[in-house]
Amino acid sequence: MNNIRNFCIIAHVDHGKSTLADRLLHLTGTVPERDTTEQILDSMDLEREKGVTIKASAVRMNYTAADGQTYELNLIDTPGHVDFGYEVSRALAACEGAILVVDATQGIEAQTLANLYQALEADLTIVPVINKIDLVTARPDEVAEDIASLLGVPPESILRVSAKTGENVAAVLEAVVARVPPPKGDAEAPLRALVFDSHYDSYKGVVAYVRVVEGRLAAADDIRMMSTGAAVKPIEVGIFAPMMKPVAALSAGEVGYIATGLKSVRDARVGDTITSAARPAAAPLPGYRHPKPMVFAGIYPAEADDYQDLREALEKLQLNDASLYFEPETSQALGYGFRAGFLGLFHMEIIQERIEREYDLDVVFTAPTVAYEVLLRDGTTRIVDTPADLPDEGEIEEIREPWMTIEIITPTEFYGPIMELATKRRGIFKGPQYPAPHRVQLNFEIPLSEIIVDFFDELKSRTRGYASLDYQFLEYRPDKLQKLEILVNGEPVDALAAIVHTKDAYHKGQRMITKLKELIPRQLFEVAIQASSGGRVISRANVKPLRKDVLAKCYGGDITRKKKLLEKQKRGKKRMKMVGNVEIPQDAFMAVLKLEEE
Amino acid sequence: MNYSLYLHIPFCVRRCAYCDFNTYAGQEALIPDYVEALRREIEAVARAAPGRLTVHTIFFGGGTPSLLSPRHFERILTALQSHFSILPEAEISLEANPGTVTLASLRDLRALGFNRISYGVQSFHPEELRQLERIHNPLDVFDAVRWARRAGFENLNLDLIYGLPEQSLDRWTATLRWALSFAPEHLSLYALTIESGAPFGRWTARGLLPLPDPDLAAEMYTQAGERLGVNGYEQYEISNWARPGFQCRHNLQYWRNRPYLGFGAGAHGYAGKMRVANALRIRSYIERCKSPASLPFPLSPASVHKRVISRRVEMQETMMTGLRLTREGVSAREFARRFGVQVTDVFGAEIEKLLGLGLLEWAQEKDDRILRLTPSARLLGNQVFLHFVD
Ligand SMILES: Nc1nc2c(ncn2[C@@H]2O[C@H](COP(=O)(O)OP(=O)(O)O)[C@@H](O)[C@H]2O)c(=O)[nH]1
Ligand code: SF4
Ligand SMILES: [Mg+2]
Repeated sequence: MNNIRNFCIIAHVDHGKSTLADRLLHLTGTVPERDTTEQILDSMDLEREKGVTIKASAVRMNYTAADGQTYELNLIDTPGHVDFGYEVSRALAACEGAILVVDATQGIEAQTLANLYQALEADLTIVPVINKIDLVTARPDEVAEDIASLLGVPPESILRVSAKTGENVAAVLEAVVARVPPPKGDAEAPLRALVFDSHYDSYKGVVAYVRVVEGRLAAADDIRMMSTGAAVKPIEVGIFAPMMKPVAALSAGEVGYIATGLKSVRDARVGDTITSAARPAAAPLPGYRHPKPMVFAGIYPAEADDYQDLREALEKLQLNDASLYFEPETSQALGYGFRAGFLGLFHMEIIQERIEREYDLDVVFTAPTVAYEVLLRDGTTRIVDTPADLPDEGEIEEIREPWMTIEIITPTEFYGPIMELATKRRGIFKGPQYPAPHRVQLNFEIPLSEIIVDFFDELKSRTRGYASLDYQFLEYRPDKLQKLEILVNGEPVDALAAIVHTKDAYHKGQRMITKLKELIPRQLFEVAIQASSGGRVISRANVKPLRKDVLAKCYGGDITRKKKLLEKQKRGKKRMKMVGNVEIPQDAFMAVLKLEEE
Repeated sequence: MNYSLYLHIPFCVRRCAYCDFNTYAGQEALIPDYVEALRREIEAVARAAPGRLTVHTIFFGGGTPSLLSPRHFERILTALQSHFSILPEAEISLEANPGTVTLASLRDLRALGFNRISYGVQSFHPEELRQLERIHNPLDVFDAVRWARRAGFENLNLDLIYGLPEQSLDRWTATLRWALSFAPEHLSLYALTIESGAPFGRWTARGLLPLPDPDLAAEMYTQAGERLGVNGYEQYEISNWARPGFQCRHNLQYWRNRPYLGFGAGAHGYAGKMRVANALRIRSYIERCKSPASLPFPLSPASVHKRVISRRVEMQETMMTGLRLTREGVSAREFARRFGVQVTDVFGAEIEKLLGLGLLEWAQEKDDRILRLTPSARLLGNQVFLHFVD
């Protein structure tokens, strides 16, 4: 056990976590050098493109250090995304140390701090590393000063590397061996293994990634999930080297996997404790939580025929994503689809892209919304995550919405624009902090509903991409909220309803109408669009009837070309959604996402 | 079954700014070889045909057919005559650019048997003609029409374009009045279509040219229809008006979904349950026609596309093209005779829906029923036709 090191790499997005991980795998010979085209820990294309690691993973490396001894290094990758804070915390709980990677050109950013605080909370030994020193714009001295003052360590102790060129990366391995303590834990105690990630394998069922904290787990042992009490007969126990490789047993301090044969990752949730069925532990490991979806949206197939395919896609995604929630929903406007819940907006974007890209489905996502707590006059409380379901005003005593704390780290020059953005969105400023020279951390409390729609993009554009953001749930708070309805030829369109703050109703209604007028094509009759809120119409516009839609000429008998155009037009029409007899294009349902700030 | 023949002449002095037809400027040196290629293609197709075909219309389109000399036409017509039975009363049309004809050339053409000329006039406003980058000016039209009459042409068509960017209703009315002053037998009014492949498409995309206003274009159309009606023209197709007896029989062939052969670069043909199309480029067309290959009718060595038309598709296409005929429409009796089923049995749901939307109407014609566009649907044809494609 003395020769085991369990550690992770934490970093702000793009600071080089994956690149460094690759280097370590090559250096230890775990993965041959020629595979460098792939970032090994990021298994999905999408992650590579979005520059985020969605799924944590764990790899065992054998490393012969300068002291001549061979060490078992377990590198645990953490999801690099704000929406996955809980998953990160569980991955950290499986480690004794963390390599903190900071980009030498960017310095400390919001997630650097958020991850660092989490790592410190988990009692990890921090090995700070400044990356990208090969770049001419690198400011390693400055960044070293900042990190040193943050951690209270001498600046000279901070390693400077280039994960890209490999420069000085060997020193990182040495530092891990020297500074990160070996795991502790009684191998003779009853088994307690922490599930810090999982994936679904069509042959082996749910594969739980575990850190054995105490005791010993042999391949033949029956085990039990402590949160549910479910008994499991493992198919296999093994390590990632980096591919799955069965072993006879895993002991306290070790990291590996258990192929459970379970059918859903929800049966082996991240944070759960696995114990032995024969000699169960008295209590589970601390910190288990059931992350709740925070952001909701309707997902509908662009073409009704794709409903079953969409269901299958969601089911498959859910196999690997315990935090994705969905249930069937019907909308008058959009037909049969699903209401889905996500950990946050980024989680939603990832799911949306995966549905479209991996499953090649054309889908309509309705504007995201949060879950409101609605206290009714009769004293009961209702959770509303579909704006159209908000009860009549007369029945409502109070509406509460989720508030978040957000931390924005930015170069000081963008202080003003960020203050403006956040306060315009009902943010309450809680004060600045100065984690490093020229950088300010602005802390706000802000309704979640205000940041799920284009807040991040706005933030990036106002700060030329420099600001970074982290957020956590704070609490539910009441406010003056009301339903904003959109009516098309007098009929309310359920999928376009929104819950908005009273002071924004007028303004948002107007912008919706302007946008919809642009997006709804002219039809055979006039189409009236109206926004209504609080019992009155706040904005209206008419889409004039179509007068001309004909191809003038069928040239020299070329009917084929004309037909192609008509076929295209027909396909476009087929993808429109019907509200009454009005055809509404798919884009219109996402219109609220594109209401530019004027 | 009488056939129609289309011959494509893909040469133009200069490309007009709105045009995306298959035509080329500055390739006139290829004309002699092209004419030879046409002769070969005619021969190849005719030889594969099931017997000697009877032809009742011939149409030379372009491009600018009037760039060919009468001698070229003579060679082509001779080839046609030796391979097809051309009816004595056949309609033989030539598309011509008013800037490219002379009295002498028109006399020669008339003598060769041409009996219909279609002039691409487009507008009588010099500024509009410049905007369109046409090579002729309004005065050319005066000469071209006068000469055609003097050469003995009793069937003249003028093509006009409306709905130009920034065109006012008044200007359009003026163009129309000028056109009427020549008392042509036939008028085609085409709404300008902005084609992405033409300079107009690029200019509008870059904001250099405003897009035409569709409502104004609709108004122009409606007013023009009224004016032409008053002047004794009958509308018989969405974009076409004629004095009684002067409907273009060649174009009727397309709209009635009857067979035609297309010769020349990019030409389309429809015969033997097959739609075929030729190679677009002049040089590849000429090269291909040198091949001695003999292919099943109606393919030629120049064909690059072919599509077999199923019965179902033929029915759809019959609706799609027939409904363009604003008076004649689709006859229930003719449909039943052609396909052995009632049009209402095949397209019942579509027809019901379109009747309900006020886009189609039934008209009683003696003991026949005719399905056609309602007057207000004439400019909304696509909303109807798209029910007859898959
Ligand atoms: N120049 C340079 N680029 C690096 C270095 N390390 C990583 N990168 C680049 O920085 C980007 C983000 O790296 P990645 O490892 O995906 O970051 P992650 O988001 O933290 O996993 C990629 O384009 C890498 O190629 C380095 O040491 N030098
Ligand atoms: S003359 Fe006719 S075919 Fe030639 S470029 Fe002009 S519009 Fe096109
Ligand atoms: Mg990464």
